[in-house]
Amino acid sequence: MRIYSKEDYRELDEKKFKLVQMDHDIKDEKFEQEPVGFFKDALIRFRQNKASVLAFFIICIVLFFTIFGPYMNSYGFNDQNSDTINMPCKIPLLAPLGICDGGKVIVNRRADLLGDPSYYPEGSILEVFNEREIQGVKMVDVKVDYYKYTGNGDKCFWFGTDYLGRDLWTRLWRGSRVSLLIAFVSVITNVFIGVIYGSIAGYYGGKVDMILMRITEIISALPRIVIITMFIMYFGTGLFAIIMALVVKGWVHTARMVRAQFYRFKQREYVLAARTLGIRDGILIFRHILPNAIGPIITSSMIAIPSAIFAESFLAYIGLGLQAPEPSIGVLLSQGQKVLLHYPNQSIIPGILISVLMISFNLFANGLRDSFDPTLRGA
Amino acid sequence: MSEKKVILEIKNLKMSFNKGRNKKKGIVRAIDDVSFNILKGEAFGLVGESGCGKTTTGRTIIRLYDPEDGEIYFDGKKISGEMNKDLRKYLSDHIAMIFQDPIASLNPRMTVAEIIGEGLKLRGIVDQSDRTKLINKMLNKVGLLPEHGTRYPHEFSGGQRQRIGIARALIVNPSFIIADEPVSALDVSIQAQVINLLDVLKDELELTILFIAHDLSVVKYFCDRIGVMYFGKIVEIAPAEELYKNPVHPYTKALLSAIPIPDPRREKNREIQFYDPKMHDYSVEKPMLHEVAQDHFVYASESELKKYKMDRTKER
Repeated sequence: MRIYSKEDYRELDEKKFKLVQMDHDIKDEKFEQEPVGFFKDALIRFRQNKASVLAFFIICIVLFFTIFGPYMNSYGFNDQNSDTINMPCKIPLLAPLGICDGGKVIVNRRADLLGDPSYYPEGSILEVFNEREIQGVKMVDVKVDYYKYTGNGDKCFWFGTDYLGRDLWTRLWRGSRVSLLIAFVSVITNVFIGVIYGSIAGYYGGKVDMILMRITEIISALPRIVIITMFIMYFGTGLFAIIMALVVKGWVHTARMVRAQFYRFKQREYVLAARTLGIRDGILIFRHILPNAIGPIITSSMIAIPSAIFAESFLAYIGLGLQAPEPSIGVLLSQGQKVLLHYPNQSIIPGILISVLMISFNLFANGLRDSFDPTLRGA
Repeated sequence: MSEKKVILEIKNLKMSFNKGRNKKKGIVRAIDDVSFNILKGEAFGLVGESGCGKTTTGRTIIRLYDPEDGEIYFDGKKISGEMNKDLRKYLSDHIAMIFQDPIASLNPRMTVAEIIGEGLKLRGIVDQSDRTKLINKMLNKVGLLPEHGTRYPHEFSGGQRQRIGIARALIVNPSFIIADEPVSALDVSIQAQVINLLDVLKDELELTILFIAHDLSVVKYFCDRIGVMYFGKIVEIAPAEELYKNPVHPYTKALLSAIPIPDPRREKNREIQFYDPKMHDYSVEKPMLHEVAQDHFVYASESELKKYKMDRTKER
């Protein structure tokens, strides 16, 4: 092998050098894979998150019952019947297992009346236990089939009835329909107002931003309960008052988040590039900046849904809920709480539903956040 | 060269940024009294170290920033005045910009065709098929396939993205391009590809290019004339060959001495000069741009000018 020395280089004439790339035409080959857009990419990542997919299915199931549940039996949500007050759950499918069989334990009964059909109709006694003698009288505890015991053997309330004899299945789904409606409407309104407000504040910055942000600070300083009470005073209890009460303060959070996103993206080079092409502010905001902030917006609104449901329930619970016959999950909980020890099914079932909804929405939102912004995983 | 028409004229341009939120913390003079002309059809290189105001100059010309003081004329029309719809339209019709970062300069939520076609949409070409035709033509010009139009930017390599950026800038038929470090984020082999593409397109479309860079060898290869910037001031302007052969200003000398030589033996003995701005004493004489040779200007005071001229003849 020859070792080149300094002198060798001197011999080389500069004119002998040629640029090899000059007449090399740039040609790129076709891509093999399918184009993967932003949402498709997010979907692929979302699918890998098993808990979120499960949560999504649970939400779908709840939504299905919310829509069709009230029509699944013949009872209306406000069909009052004084013969069927506070009935226990009766689900024929589960009855052989000993749960939800319409049974109810009645304590301290006189043993000698057990055979009397005017007290205990035919077949109504399921189990007798705890026999004892008190002051010379034989007493027992009896588990009765409450439906037969009250002479409603032909009826069947899946989730039981409340203190006015209304079917709780129908009321539960109708109530969750109202709760979800309040949650969705208030969150959508929040996002709508918040995105526009935050976009303007974030895009224009400077004095505009300063003034707009001070306004949001004033609004967020007002106590929520006062606002709600005022709305209810002026508009009466009802959907509108509750939704407004949730909207008045709720959009502030969205606006701040969107503003922060705008500060993050507005100095990006592609925004500058679009500006040098002469693109208008409106298009810059909605076509260039907002789509890049869509991930955090979707995620935060999904997180806002369970908290809106919870806020509505809380209001109903403290008695600021909907007008009387209309149920919501919160209304059911607050009614059930009054008879919690005697008829636990009236509060446990709506309690389970709201818990499942909140957990599902939170898991779903977490999955969305991870799939829209993988860098934030686990944060 | 002097018989060529001046296309862009910058007079005493000044621009500064606030340090922090309030003015009490002081200001940074990003551009401090800069004047130069760019001739039609030439490639004018602007070089200097990081933070010396090259990018700010480019962005001020296209009015991403508002100049504090001074005037900019494009084709005889003043473009440094108050911003309005007409001026924005005039600017965007005639001047386009290529950005430094091929990743950050393309909107990740838009397809390539949408990115390139946006300028067309704005210029009244609403019909989808007309637009697609023009976009495909432009894609071919920068060496991409029409099929690439349906893809998103993240699927492309750095060099491809930079070519997409070039296509976006060129589709509105500008006569003047500001290329803000278009190759500094690319690796060397791709740099050549993009630079050569720019060179070809420059001749084909009769473009004038303001080429902002800190890579001196790229500038030497690409540009006809070069301006050297130091802390917001232009310290030397000269034709490319002249600048590399006979640098006058000490800062230019320092800058040129820092170019690595692709020869390990010579590289070993390369002398690096250092530049200390304290060597200038501008308390008595005010410095300004003086012509030391034809088309060769240097920023100096009278006494310095004499010294520079003496050095020059000595070297000869």
